[in-house]
Amino acid sequence: MSEYIRFEHIIKNFGEKKVLRDIDLSIEKGELVTLLGPSGCGKSTLLRILSGLEDATSGRIFLEGKDITDVAPQNRDIGMVFQHYSLFPNMNVRQNVAFGLKKKRVPKEEIDKTVSEMIEVVGLKDNVDQYPSQLSGGQQQRAALARALVTKPKVLLLDEPLSAIDALLRHSLQVEIRRIQKELNITAVFVTHDQEEAMVMSDRINLMHDGKIEQSARPIDLYTNPQSRFAATFIGHYNVLPAETFANAVSVAGATGISELQNYETVAFRPEIVEISRQERGSVPADSYLLRGRVAMSLPHGNFLRYNISCGNATIDVDTLFNREKLFEDGTEVWLMVPKEECILF
Amino acid sequence: MKKKNGLSVLLIILILIWLLVPLAVSLIYSLFSNWTGIIPKGFSLDAYQSVLTDPQFLKALGQTILVCIVPILLTNVIVLLTLFTVTAYFPKLEKYVQIICMIPYTVQGVILSVSILSLYVGGSGFFASRLVMLMGAYCIIILPYTYQGIRNSMRAVNMPMLLDAAQMLGCSRIEAFFKVVVPNIMPGIIVSSLLAVGIIFGDYVLIRNLAGSTVTNVQMYLYQVMKADSRKSSATFILIMLVMFLITAVVLVLRSRSEKGKRN
Repeated sequence: MSEYIRFEHIIKNFGEKKVLRDIDLSIEKGELVTLLGPSGCGKSTLLRILSGLEDATSGRIFLEGKDITDVAPQNRDIGMVFQHYSLFPNMNVRQNVAFGLKKKRVPKEEIDKTVSEMIEVVGLKDNVDQYPSQLSGGQQQRAALARALVTKPKVLLLDEPLSAIDALLRHSLQVEIRRIQKELNITAVFVTHDQEEAMVMSDRINLMHDGKIEQSARPIDLYTNPQSRFAATFIGHYNVLPAETFANAVSVAGATGISELQNYETVAFRPEIVEISRQERGSVPADSYLLRGRVAMSLPHGNFLRYNISCGNATIDVDTLFNREKLFEDGTEVWLMVPKEECILF
Repeated sequence: MKKKNGLSVLLIILILIWLLVPLAVSLIYSLFSNWTGIIPKGFSLDAYQSVLTDPQFLKALGQTILVCIVPILLTNVIVLLTLFTVTAYFPKLEKYVQIICMIPYTVQGVILSVSILSLYVGGSGFFASRLVMLMGAYCIIILPYTYQGIRNSMRAVNMPMLLDAAQMLGCSRIEAFFKVVVPNIMPGIIVSSLLAVGIIFGDYVLIRNLAGSTVTNVQMYLYQVMKADSRKSSATFILIMLVMFLITAVVLVLRSRSEKGKRN
C-alpha cells in the first residue's frame, strides 16, 4: 500500500466562514475512503477541492506524488458522480457514457466497445437508448457511475450519490458500487452523512466535524472505539451520559467500583452491549456496572428492539434481538449490566 | 371534472375565435372584389398578384428579414455569453444583469429612437450608419425577451451542475457551456427568438424614425399600401402573417427533426 492522495494543510474559507480548518489526510491506492459527517461539516467542499471544482484558500493536494493544487479539473483525470442527477438531458445513456471518451478522442470502435462493457458492468444493458427523463433515479445514478468510470480515472469521487434514492434501492446500490470499486480496483472517495452507508461501503471512514477530521479509522474501529464525544454521538447509537449522572444511576443499584468515573466528564457505551434482565444478580460482578431501572418505552426496529430505560436521572437505550419469549413491558422494573471494558470515558 | 374540461375547451375556442376573426375577415376581404351585397362576389387573387409582383414589397420583406436576423443572432450571443460568465464566475451579479436586461421593457420606441439619433446622428464611422443604429435599437428592444427565455431555460436544466459534470469529463468551462448547456437550452433560445421575430416584424416606430428612407420594412410598406388600396393592404397583411407562420413552422420543424434524429 502506498500513499496515493495527500491533502496538506487544506484551509477553505467562504468569506468570514471557515469551512475547512487545516485538513491533513492521506488516501491509499485502491481504497474506498468515506468522508462522513453532518451537513455543513465541510465534507463536500473537501471533495470538490480534490476534484478541482473548488479552490482551497491555502494548502496543497498531491495525487500520485504530483502537486495537482493548480491543475484544472478537466486535466486531473478524476471522475465524479454528483448528488443530484447530472446526466446530460439531451443525450441517451450510451451518448452520456461515451461523452468523456469522445472528449479524449478515443477511436470510435474502442468507444463503442468500452461503453458497452461499462454499461454492462452497471447493469443498464437494456436502457442504452433511453434518455435520462426515461430512467429511474437509481438507473440515472448507475449511468452517471458508468460515465465517470468509463475513462478509467485515477480517482472516483462520489458526492452523496445515493441520497436522493429510496431506501431499498439505496441498499442494493451501496453493495453494487462497492462491488464495482473492488472489481476495477479504483481509488474512491465517498461523501455521505449516513453513518450506516459509510459503515457498509468504506475501507476507512474519516469522520468530519466543524471543518476538521474528528477521527479517521476502519469502520469497525470507529464504531467500537470512538475517540470523542462527537464521534460517539454520530456513530452508531451510543448512550452518551455525563459521568456523574451515570455514577449516580450505578449508585442507586448499590454497586461498587464507581470511583474511576469521577475522573471523567462523559461515559459512552453502545446499547447492544447492555445486558437486561428482570432479576437482580446475586452478586455484582467486578467487571460490570449494575443499574436498576424501569422500561419507559420499547421501540421495535424490525429484527431488534430498543428499550428506553429510566435509571435515576439517566435514560439508557438498550438494544436486544427480537425474541417473543423475552419481551419487557413498559413500566417493568429491570436490571442492567454494563461491562466496564465496553465503556468509553472522555 | 367534466364540467371543468368543458369550460376550458369553451375558453380556448373563444380565444381562438378572438385571434382568428381579424385574420379571417382580412383574408375574405382580400379575396373578393365585389362587396355590394351581404355575400361578397368576384373571387380574385389579383390583390395577391399585385403585392407579390411589387418590387417594393419584396425589397421591404427582404430588408425586414435582414434586420430581423442580425439583431436576434447578436442578442442571443451576447445574452448567452453574459449569462455563462455570470452563472459560472460571478453568480452574485445575476440580479444586476437582470435589472439591466429588463430596462428596455420600460423604454418607449419613440424615446429610444430619439435618444439614439441625438447621440449618433451627424457623426462619422460605423455607428453613424442608419442601418447599424436600427439593428442596435432592435438588439435593445428584444433584449428582455431573449434574456428571460434563455435564463429560464438555464435554470430548468441546472446549468452549474451540467458545467461541473462536463468539466469532470474533460471539457473546459466554456467548452462545457457550448457543448452541453446550449443544446439543452435550445428550445428556450428558439422560443425567445421567435418572439423577437414577431416584435421586429411588427415594428413601425423605430424603423420610421431611425432608418427613414434608408431601410423599409413590411410595416412601412403596409402603411403606404393602406393609403392607396384597402384590398391590397389586406393581402399584404395576410402575406406578412403567412411569412411569420412559415418562419415559425420551419424553425419548429427543424428543431423537432434534430430532436428526432438525436433520439433515433
